[in-house]
Amino acid sequence: MRLQQAIADDIVVSGRGVGKTFANGTVVALKNADFDIKRGSFVSLVGPSGCGKSTLLRLVSGLIAPTSGQVNVHDTPVDGPRSDISMMFQKATLLEWRTALENVLLPTEIAGTPTKADKKRAYDLLKLVGLGDFAFSFPAQLSGGMQQRVALARLLQTGADILLLDEPFGALDEFTRERLNTELMRIVAEIGATTIFVTHNISEAIFLADQVFVMTSRPGQVAKIIDVDLERPRPLSIQTSPEFNALVADVRETLGAV
Amino acid sequence: MVAVQHVGDDRTAGNAARNLRNRRILAHAAIFVILIATWEIASRLGWLDPLFYPRPSNIMRSFWLIYVQNGNVWYHLGVTMSLVFMGFIGGSVLGIVLGSLVGLNPTLRRFLKPYVIVLEATPRIAVAPLLIAALGFGVTSKIAIIVLVCFFAPFINTLSGVMNVNAEKLELFKAMGASKWQILRKLVLPDAIPVIMAGERLALTAALSGALVAEFIQRDQGIGSLILVYTRNLNMASAFACIFTLTILGFLIFRGMEIIDQYIAFWKHEGGRDRVSAKRRAAMGPQT
Amino acid sequence: MTDARMPTGTLILDRVLRFIPHAILLLLLIGLWELAARIGWITSIMIPRPSAIGAAIFKLYITEGTIYRHFFITLTEAVVGFLIGASVAVGLAVASSMSEVFKRYVIPYAVVLNVTPGIALTPVIIAWFGYGMGSKIALAAILCFFPIFVNTLTGLVQVDEDREELFASLGASPRQVFAKLRVPAALPLLFAGLKIGLTTALIGAVVAEFAQATDGVGVLMSRFSFQLNMAASIATLLSMTVIGLLLFYTMEFLDDRIVFWRRESRRAAASRAAARTWLGQLGK
Repeated sequence: MRLQQAIADDIVVSGRGVGKTFANGTVVALKNADFDIKRGSFVSLVGPSGCGKSTLLRLVSGLIAPTSGQVNVHDTPVDGPRSDISMMFQKATLLEWRTALENVLLPTEIAGTPTKADKKRAYDLLKLVGLGDFAFSFPAQLSGGMQQRVALARLLQTGADILLLDEPFGALDEFTRERLNTELMRIVAEIGATTIFVTHNISEAIFLADQVFVMTSRPGQVAKIIDVDLERPRPLSIQTSPEFNALVADVRETLGAV
Repeated sequence: MVAVQHVGDDRTAGNAARNLRNRRILAHAAIFVILIATWEIASRLGWLDPLFYPRPSNIMRSFWLIYVQNGNVWYHLGVTMSLVFMGFIGGSVLGIVLGSLVGLNPTLRRFLKPYVIVLEATPRIAVAPLLIAALGFGVTSKIAIIVLVCFFAPFINTLSGVMNVNAEKLELFKAMGASKWQILRKLVLPDAIPVIMAGERLALTAALSGALVAEFIQRDQGIGSLILVYTRNLNMASAFACIFTLTILGFLIFRGMEIIDQYIAFWKHEGGRDRVSAKRRAAMGPQT
Repeated sequence: MTDARMPTGTLILDRVLRFIPHAILLLLLIGLWELAARIGWITSIMIPRPSAIGAAIFKLYITEGTIYRHFFITLTEAVVGFLIGASVAVGLAVASSMSEVFKRYVIPYAVVLNVTPGIALTPVIIAWFGYGMGSKIALAAILCFFPIFVNTLTGLVQVDEDREELFASLGASPRQVFAKLRVPAALPLLFAGLKIGLTTALIGAVVAEFAQATDGVGVLMSRFSFQLNMAASIATLLSMTVIGLLLFYTMEFLDDRIVFWRRESRRAAASRAAARTWLGQLGK
């Protein structure tokens, strides 16, 4: 199932003139964004606070509606949360009264009645993220990193092929974050999902992505889209290579220029 | 010199802890006995007028009297507790239902707010004479008083619990495309359970107080009336026996509520978590 | 440094405007009630009409002015009982926080007191303290003891490890740690306990009045009820509400002033006051 070598050229997420303002147009969270995202690619949105990266993510997810322009997913406009898109947040946001397994099953429960196959899938996903032994533990019994891994399993439960992640590992220490990022890339490549990942960490953005959307603030906008042609799978050591550093410099320059 | 852990060290540590605890219990018991003895001696010496300040020995005798010999305390306790139970259920249901309705409706909440503040400031138990005069002496007015008194805490707590849903959890549910009904059932209600339980504990205490006040005024049956009658007849020993009965009852209620909480809000208790974990694991079947 | 505040005029207007829909609703409800009573939908003598209640209020407060004495007596009973109960509670809580041994041996008795419905003690208290204000004050004090005790103790005993470490690194003495860390950190919980205690003290005063008394709004209300003078009874109940609100807002005010760092509005004002004092001292 390794599709990353043959990334089909079809566009699964596209935006035309996507903009979002709040408070009757006085606050411009995102100014006209145009983008095309190919199936199976990994896109990072990076920038300082107020650059509109979280807003853009939520526009793609359907949680908020654009004030101008349109977002298309699988050639249909996004007008609300949908089953082919799955989202993960900065906080694990697990429900304390449910076991890890039941938390992973939550999206399936919302969409309908979980079948035996769904339950097996949830359990397998927990094993995939290394929490097989903790399937029946409660969030209070899990560490921060473990909770985020449960959230990751929950993200994958519905089998949606568009994955949106909003700084999911930001609250964790660097070692856990690196480990989870590597895991994420592996899983995403294996299932062939298209991923959009928000972060404020430049290295992380480049390390994970095929394309980096560099976003600047005041007003929030996509300043530049940088292609990352580094080898896959990405070893951690690639972060010290000259190509990587050149990309970092490029991003910094874009951020500094505005 | 090298410190070496001996094989028996853990057991010795365990023993030491146990010894400490036993010594403490002994100390507590000793202090208690000394207090009682001082009270008894002071009473016999005439420092404390036995008419007003009953001797421990007399109190114990009264316990025997009212519990075993003529056993009238059981009947009155039963009367009071059935009233408390009925009023508590009524007040809780009313409080939870209204609290949910108001909590989920911002307009209703806004308009009811001043009335809630006024209601909160008024000692609700003060309405007892009014209700008795309006509804007459008897069970109806007593239950009405209890319902009124124990309605408030569940109402306020349910209101608060239903309103204060974690914003991130709400966003998660919306991102999953959950319907309003699903959000209510799977998020708002479970989330509010601990707060509602806290309100219920307060309500039960209030219900007992309400019953007692109603009995003080009506003076017909129940343990409140018993205390009143005994005190009027200066049978302080029996009055105190009744009061200590309420202490024991209060303690039982307290423990009872704790145990119920362990089942209803199980995820807040370590024991509860472990128990439900094991149950869910077993339910999943042998495929794990 | 500019202070971004709205001009006072707009603030007052805003508050008045927000008050209007509530006033309208209230007038509507009272009007409906009065109408229902006059038409005959509500016939029971037990539910007096608003005009009758209004007349009773007028009589109590203005024509005969009987209520003031009773109002003052109940208020005094509640406040004095509260002060006594609170002092003992805070004193014991402070002692318990400083001595582990003291705490260990006081706690069981405090728990017993908490678990017993204090109201059950009413007849005994009256037998011991007589028919006058003494018994009401005593019951109020006993009832409000436990919530204040437990809140204050919890507040004093709570440990913020980072702050403890800071004070230790500064070489603070136990007395300094108590005065500069524990006490301020405990204030929010202390005031939460005091608020509950004040309400409970009022309940104690009123319940004791029901049982046996000649003066006080509790007695007045009880008397009116049994004379089936429902309008006057409700009028007196409203006076009790006034007492309750008075006590509540006094406590809110004290809370706001003493635990000033909790509310944004107070923080700004306290900042300015501090700036004035300090800069004044520095001769600027």
